Amino acid sequence: MTATHATGLLPEIAASPVCRRAISLRSERQERAPKPAAVASSGRAPVGTGAELDDYVARAAAGDVRAFERLYETHVPRVHSLVRRMAGGRDTDELTQDVFVRVWQKLGSFRGDAAFGTWLHRLAVNVVIERFRQDATRRQRLHDGDEIFDTLASPLRSGDIRMDFESALERLPDGAREIFVLHDVEGYKHREIGTLLQISSGTSKAQLHRARMMLRRHLK
Amino acid sequence: MNHTDHVTDRLSDYLDDDGLTPEQRAALDAHLATCGECRGALDELRAVVTRAAALTDRAPAAELWSGIAARIEPPAVLKMPQRQTRRFSFTLPQLVAASLALMVLSGGLVWVARSGDPRASLPPVVALEESADSEPMVPVTFADAQYDDAVADLEQALAKGRDRLDPETIRVIEASLRSIDEAIDQSRKALKADPANVYLNNHFAASRNRKLALLRRATALALGDGNIGG
Repeated sequence: MTATHATGLLPEIAASPVCRRAISLRSERQERAPKPAAVASSGRAPVGTGAELDDYVARAAAGDVRAFERLYETHVPRVHSLVRRMAGGRDTDELTQDVFVRVWQKLGSFRGDAAFGTWLHRLAVNVVIERFRQDATRRQRLHDGDEIFDTLASPLRSGDIRMDFESALERLPDGAREIFVLHDVEGYKHREIGTLLQISSGTSKAQLHRARMMLRRHLK
Repeated sequence: MNHTDHVTDRLSDYLDDDGLTPEQRAALDAHLATCGECRGALDELRAVVTRAAALTDRAPAAELWSGIAARIEPPAVLKMPQRQTRRFSFTLPQLVAASLALMVLSGGLVWVARSGDPRASLPPVVALEESADSEPMVPVTFADAQYDDAVADLEQALAKGRDRLDPETIRVIEASLRSIDEAIDQSRKALKADPANVYLNNHFAASRNRKLALLRRATALALGDGNIGG
C-alpha cells in the first residue's frame, strides 16, 4: 500500500516532509509505547493514536500552539509521573514544564523514526538526567544512601498500599531510584541505562537490586 | 557476607535472567530448592517488579500549561524591531470588503469547477488572482515544504507582533485567514474527487499564495514596516 492510499492524501501532499513524518509515525508504534491517559488534564478527550496523533504532531511541528497544547494534555500525566518518580518528587512541576518546552523546541527535528510517545519519553528522561548532572554531588549520590534502609525498614502507614509504594520509591537513594524507575517501570535495559547515566551495566544492576531489596518491604 | 547475602545479591539477575551462566543459574536453582529464606526473598523481589510495572500515571495537581505557553516562542524568521510603537489599522470597510471578496471568490471558483466544464465559463484564474492582489504571484506547489515552513514562520512572527496591531485589524485579518483556509480546504476536498482539474489545482495554489501574501502583509504591519500597499 502506498503512502497516498494509506492516508487518502493527494500524492503531492503525502510526499511532503511533514506528511512523510506522520506516515512514518503510524508504522512505528512499537516498544515502550506510552500508557495512554484515560482523560486529558483539561477534561477533553486525549489525542488518540494513529492518524489523529500524527495530525496533531504535524500541526504542532508546524508551529500550531493549540495542537501542541492537545499533545501536552494527552501526554502530561505520563511525563509528570515519569519525572516525579525519577526526580524523587523534587521540582516535578518545573521539570515537567522544561520537558514540554524542550519538546516544542525540538519538534522541528523530530523525523518520525520512532513513535512520538517514545521520542517524547526519551526526551523527558534526558531532561531529568541533565538536571541531575548539574548537581555536583551526583556521583556521590550513586554510592551513598545506605541510611535510607532504616527509614524504609517498615511500611508506611496509609490505606493505599500503591501510594505507599510510590512514596517509598521517592525516598530511595537517587541513584538506585533512577535506575529502578528506568528498568522496572520504564523498561530500559541495563546497557541503555549505562549509556544514559554514564555508568557501567554492572553498576546499574547492583543499584537495581539494591532498590528492589529496599522496596520489597513495602509490599507486605 | 554469609551464604544468604551471596545468593540474594544474585537474585535480581536470576529474576531478570540476565548475566548468569547456565552453571550459575543451576547452582541458584539448587540453592533455592532448599533455602526458604532465599525463596521468600525471590518472591518479594518478583512482587516488586510486578508492582512497578503496574504503576499508573497521574496528572499533575497544578496547572502547568500556562507556564509552558509563556515560555514557548516559535522561531521567528523576521527580526522584531526594538523601538517600534506605532500602531496600524486598515479602514474597516476596506478590510470587510477584502474578506468578503475572498470568500465569494474562493467559494465561487470551487463551485464552478465542480459543477461543469470550467474552461467554458471561467476567466483565467491567474488574471483574477493578479487583480485581487497587487503582489506578483509566485507559483507554489502543493507539497512545498518551504511553503509550510514559511506559513508557520509568518504565523509565529505575527503572533509575536500582534499586540502592535489594532484589535479590529487583528479581527479582520483573522477572519480573512479563516476564509482563505476554508478555500484551501474546499479546494483540497474537491481535488480529491478530481485531482486532474486544472482550475482546482490553480485555485488551490492561488489560495495558498493568498494566505502567504496576507500573512506577509500582516507580519509587516506587526513588525512596523507600515508598507500597507505591499
